[in-house]
Amino acid sequence: MSIPAKTFPTNLNCQSARPPLRWPTANLFRNPFGELTREERAEVAVVDLDPLVAWLTTAGERSATVDDELCDSDRIAQGNEVPREPVFCRFRAFQLIGDCGRGKTTRMLAIHRRFPRSSYVYLPEDEPCPAIPEGTPLLIDEAQRLPWRVRRKVFASGATLILATHNDLTGPLRRAGYQVTTQRIGLTLTADRLAEILNRRLQASRRDPRQPIPQISIQVAEQLIARHGTDIRAIESFLYDIVQAQVNQHGEMRFID
Amino acid sequence: MAKCDLSIELDEPDRVYVGGDVITGTLHVMADSDVNCTGLEIQANWRTHGRGNVARGKSPWTTLFVGQWLSGQRESYRFELEVSDWPPSYHGNFINVDHYVDARAKIPWAFDPKASQEFLMRPISGPDPAKTKAPSALGGCIGYGVFLVVISFFVVGMGGMVVGLLTNPIVALIVGLVVFPIIALIAARSLLPKWLLGDVQVELITPHVAPGQRVRATFSFQPRRSFKLNAITADLKGTEVCVSGSGSNRTTHRNVFFEQQHVLQEGARLEAGQRQEFELDFKLPGDVPYSFDLSDNNLNWTIGLRVDIPRWPDWTKTLKLHVYPDRDAVQPAAAIESDNVRGHSDDPAVSVGGGADSPSAKHDEITFAETATHLWQLRGDAEQIDVLVDAVTGMTFEIDTYVERRLLYSGDEDPHLYKGGYAVWARHSDPPLPLVLYVPHDLGDEFEQAGRDLWHCRGTIVGWDHQHRRLQIKVLVGDG
Repeated sequence: MSIPAKTFPTNLNCQSARPPLRWPTANLFRNPFGELTREERAEVAVVDLDPLVAWLTTAGERSATVDDELCDSDRIAQGNEVPREPVFCRFRAFQLIGDCGRGKTTRMLAIHRRFPRSSYVYLPEDEPCPAIPEGTPLLIDEAQRLPWRVRRKVFASGATLILATHNDLTGPLRRAGYQVTTQRIGLTLTADRLAEILNRRLQASRRDPRQPIPQISIQVAEQLIARHGTDIRAIESFLYDIVQAQVNQHGEMRFID
Repeated sequence: MAKCDLSIELDEPDRVYVGGDVITGTLHVMADSDVNCTGLEIQANWRTHGRGNVARGKSPWTTLFVGQWLSGQRESYRFELEVSDWPPSYHGNFINVDHYVDARAKIPWAFDPKASQEFLMRPISGPDPAKTKAPSALGGCIGYGVFLVVISFFVVGMGGMVVGLLTNPIVALIVGLVVFPIIALIAARSLLPKWLLGDVQVELITPHVAPGQRVRATFSFQPRRSFKLNAITADLKGTEVCVSGSGSNRTTHRNVFFEQQHVLQEGARLEAGQRQEFELDFKLPGDVPYSFDLSDNNLNWTIGLRVDIPRWPDWTKTLKLHVYPDRDAVQPAAAIESDNVRGHSDDPAVSVGGGADSPSAKHDEITFAETATHLWQLRGDAEQIDVLVDAVTGMTFEIDTYVERRLLYSGDEDPHLYKGGYAVWARHSDPPLPLVLYVPHDLGDEFEQAGRDLWHCRGTIVGWDHQHRRLQIKVLVGDG
């Protein structure tokens, strides 16, 4: 005896599957609030890097190297569109401190994208410390997990550092001779900024550049902040479910009913 | 703003492709200004999108053009690409798998223009069943294991409580509040059902099935005591399981998209010592999606067996079912063609692992460029990489590399690192296979001076860095 199957909104028929019509209707090619690759996260990041760059590149000892001249001259010869890389100071560090979901990693990825000679290292939890290459600047995500021995080695190198951390590492940095600036992120989030962050995601999932796509208004952003605070990850997760439910039902986008 | 725009036009945009098919089309380029393109590349690849971390295939890029476009110039390039044979296109709630033709124009010191065009793929075969072996039979040894765990907990709990009572009553209280509830929970869920049912034998006769085929399993036990049961049921479930984030931010999301219950017996009284045997035999719907396991994006089919006993903990067991395309249903012509293609293929996967063509057999003739080409083509397949790297480990080659950057830290107690030496990330000249070079201290100045120019050295292959997907090479002194 079998009880009739319960099925849920999913394209079950994979054998004759057509491109799901739900996304083209909204002029999107995917749910904009799903997980992105590191490259995509860096591309859609809404971050102001000027204070950071100003701190790490003001007068001080030059970071390096023969390569600087090589790369700069290459670029001048190419008449390129990538902004000229600034000269980074040795023994300068910039810390990003904040709770989960506030954008530390997104900022790090955006910085890594902007400076081609930078290195980005993510330190996983409960796993051996990965290899740490030189970089100008060197970006270390979850820097509070640096083992003491490795931390000493990295700090002794004098490399320009950008650290995303849950714990303040000012003490060890200063003892190693670093000048440090700390930015606490996620304390505030304006509706304008949230709308810009979310609309960039929508834009990055646009199917046809000639057709319009749904937009997050300032009013909707205000309601999202009232509901979820400054936790952008929670807001994106909430919107994923909303968008998925709406395209499964009627294809129209209402982000908050 | 990009210096040129790319667009892809497929010859048959509405066609559902079969794994191994050739997809054809035209890549259009429109230059806004003079562009020096170091590689107009195209590939047919798959990737996931949705709630889980993005997983993607590792198809090779094909270069269509290298050179210069003038401002206002429009060019079109024909392409023919082979479609991956796995995974299938799938569009769910948390997980989506799409196949794409991806194109990019590599432009020095500018962001590379890109274009993508999706298409649908229906597989004619699944992954190798040997690699996805599902446990098909379950017996009583698991029950004895659970029993041992419970006894261990009990001994530790009792010991802890006695020691605690003698030394510190607060410790005894913690032991009493934490350890004993755990023991009670495990006992309630595992041992009490077995106390009634005895040793339960389950065998999934068809661990691999195709949509529309019959799922068969047997289920038997000999009750130790007489008891009444509410029902014995088997729940077929299709679930999307995906993981987002990493490290401490790792979150697992589950979405059950299909549920079907089969009742094997209802409202009966079972007598002690009387063997009970049940046969589960039902047809899988013909339009269900296939199982897949793509890194952090899995589609799982399971059968949950349950013996529902009134006023007693239920006995439960979950069996994993693999739903794959029916290999026997593949058109013979397609199969023959597929075999022929493989027979003439240059794919290194075919020749890896011994035989006259294996790299080890050609030790005397093989060059580093050939080895690097094989590794470059296999770089998405960790198992094949291991086989090939095992075969070439210990071989010494002349190597042309471009040094990328020195490592500040190269991992815990790296056995290949020279004392006082350096670990350096580099890449081979062609193909650009990523390398880790272990450089002795004496050669430090030499590679520093090389800067970004080609650096020639002599080195021995010592392994493969799986984390960074780099071939590990120990550079030799005196021959560089």
